Amino acid sequence: MRLKPLLGQITVYTVLIAGSAIMAFPFYWMLATSLKSPQEAQQAVPVWVPERLKPANWAAAARLGAQGGSMWWGGYRAGRSVVLRVYTGEKGPEPVVTIPTPPAAFSDPRADNTRIETAFEDGWWEVTLTNGGQESFRLLPVRLRIAKSYPTYRLELQPDSISSRGEDWELSWSNLAPGVLGYVLHNFREAWYAAPFGRYFFNSFFTALTQVLGGLFIAAMAAFALARIPFPGKEFVFSLIIATLMIPGEVLLIPNYILLSRLGWLDTYYALIVPWLASVFGIFLLRQFYLSLPQDLFDAARIDGATYWSQLWRIALPLSVPGMVTYGIFTFLGAYNALLWPLIVTNSPEMRTIQLGLQAFIGEAGSDYGALMAASTLSILPIVLGYFLAQKQFVQGVARSGIK
Amino acid sequence: MGTRLALYLGLGVVAVLVRLLWELRFAGAGSYALAAVAALAAGLWAIQGKPLPLAWLGLAIGLAGTVAGYGLPWLSLLIPLGVFVGYWGWARHVSEKDLGAFWGWALVWPAVGLLLVWQVIPAFYALWLSFLDRFNFIGHSRFVGLLNYEILLTRDPLFWKAMGNTFWFVAFTVPIGIGLATLMAILLNEKVKLQGLFRTLYFLPYITALTAAAAVWDWIYNPEFGFLNWLLGTPGFQWLSTPEGIFARILRPLGINLSGFWAGPSVAFVAVMAMSIWHFLGYQIVVLLAGLQNIPKEYYEAAELDGASWWQKVRFITWPLLSPTTFFLFTLSLIGAFQVFTQVLILTPTGGVLQDTLTLALYLYNKGFRDSNFSYASALAVVVFIMILVLTLVQRRVLERRVTYEA
Repeated sequence: MRLKPLLGQITVYTVLIAGSAIMAFPFYWMLATSLKSPQEAQQAVPVWVPERLKPANWAAAARLGAQGGSMWWGGYRAGRSVVLRVYTGEKGPEPVVTIPTPPAAFSDPRADNTRIETAFEDGWWEVTLTNGGQESFRLLPVRLRIAKSYPTYRLELQPDSISSRGEDWELSWSNLAPGVLGYVLHNFREAWYAAPFGRYFFNSFFTALTQVLGGLFIAAMAAFALARIPFPGKEFVFSLIIATLMIPGEVLLIPNYILLSRLGWLDTYYALIVPWLASVFGIFLLRQFYLSLPQDLFDAARIDGATYWSQLWRIALPLSVPGMVTYGIFTFLGAYNALLWPLIVTNSPEMRTIQLGLQAFIGEAGSDYGALMAASTLSILPIVLGYFLAQKQFVQGVARSGIK
Repeated sequence: MGTRLALYLGLGVVAVLVRLLWELRFAGAGSYALAAVAALAAGLWAIQGKPLPLAWLGLAIGLAGTVAGYGLPWLSLLIPLGVFVGYWGWARHVSEKDLGAFWGWALVWPAVGLLLVWQVIPAFYALWLSFLDRFNFIGHSRFVGLLNYEILLTRDPLFWKAMGNTFWFVAFTVPIGIGLATLMAILLNEKVKLQGLFRTLYFLPYITALTAAAAVWDWIYNPEFGFLNWLLGTPGFQWLSTPEGIFARILRPLGINLSGFWAGPSVAFVAVMAMSIWHFLGYQIVVLLAGLQNIPKEYYEAAELDGASWWQKVRFITWPLLSPTTFFLFTLSLIGAFQVFTQVLILTPTGGVLQDTLTLALYLYNKGFRDSNFSYASALAVVVFIMILVLTLVQRRVLERRVTYEA
């Protein structure tokens, strides 16, 4: 098909680009928000490029991070001093620096053991925070009050939030000694520490991979028998399998929940894996593949004395790799992205899959959208990376599902 | 013998399944004993004529499994294992046809067994539960026949609310989704540059988990700081907690007041739908693109020779020849609409203001797992099952006639 050359081409590209911009926007917005401080995320006019992505801030973050701990991840180690310079030009009222204590804490060793010295040098205030205690900390939150009477002032590291307090401006940093990575990925690190995402990822990967491998094994055996072995009762088995296709997932939620509870399997990996091991989709897909292989291959193997078992393993399986990849991708996606089933059959935090962990985190994070978007980004990262690595397989697998 | 071997194996597996049912309190010890004895008897029958040492060993293992299975359920797996030990001895003395019978069943049993235990039996169990009164883990429940169905269909406004929402969901997302996807797929199929890049971008939402995607849209819809309100210049608009129907909202300035079902889906539910269309569009585009690429080029060349316009080619070649794919997507979206859950739970955790975003799946979850009323939820599930079944059949009958399968 050819459109009327130029005008048509322009229309096509305009529509396609506009469409892809809408499709991609939520991803951009998720990523951008995940790099913002709370105040930046809650601007009336959207901030397109977060402060944390600006290289000018990275140098300061690295220097301050190196003072407190390491250049990459920063920190506030015992015995270290972090020096913040506030360039004011002239000497006016002394800025007041405090370390905010978490609400509802009896004592805060970080604030109690920090020595704060403020001195005026040539045109700037030099604020030195020294960790005099024995304990090291991951973060150094700092609050600084500076008089509004200064016409201008400049800071090395942009504060995360600025608010007005009477005669002063109150500037605050969630971490004054972040290091480069600790600065850019602040929300990611905080989200990672706020909930056991490592455990969630393990649960998701473990259950999804087991489902893929176990399901593949079971589906390959059944598909091979249905495609290549004549046996009495084959039609019956086949129609039974087709019949199960008609049962929607909702019908199975309650009875399977009861079965699992009677087996004592609730809140275990079994509950997440076993009910979905046998996949009708997989059986159909692989059967289609095996049917398309030439019969001669199997006859030759039979004459050479190969049993059905070794025909399956030596001939059918190696020749159906594309089908198995399609099945694997779909099953993995389904298991990794599932929310309803894990929500029903697990209840302890240790058994949560990543989606369930994210759902719980949404409840806990409240209005900290930076951390929330960081957690969301983390949760989709493995799938998106996998998609970019095996794009062809993903797309072909989906396309194949639509063609009879 | 031969098929006797398959029978022996089959009865062995059945014995294991019955042992499992006993464990699940669906069957008694007696039925297990019966099944196990039947399996062993079939074994003896299979052995007849060719009594080999390994066959006897297999039978002995089966017997041990039967006994041990009384105490530890999983030890009943020794019964089918015994069949394989026996087979090892027999293999050389068995005809080709009998080998097929044995291996065929041996290979399908794991899948069939799992499907029976986790899909077929539970489906019937759900049906049975729906006839009971308030079945849950506490106390006894009695058989009440169709009471749950009667309450559900005649006295439960929430069920009809959820049905109405499902209807609107289909009525909005299916035509808009398929329409947009068809447009995009046709445009992508024009030899555009960077086709791969476009396809990647369009497909990306589909592989993202709904949970994360919904979290992002929740943030975009945020009334105070959300991007959408900034874009549309409607600060403070509560996208996800406005229960007013959109038809009512649009027509109110004209002096027309609509209420109930005819007020249309609530603003909040339309927001959920927009997110769902975004999520599913990439899948539809990729499937349609594959369908488009299957249409032979000759048709277009012939049409061009006859001087057909671009639109004529789309209307008279692409659309009819794409109809099997469109039909497939239509069926899939229809079934999918009955299962909308995740995005609703994340965007409107309680089912929205006045339950305006309640979907059937969410209602089922609420009834079953928040109110712990398993029987009522089962009745709901059975009704959904029947509806999907009827709709699919009607679709087959009515719509599929218009589908052009052959080029």
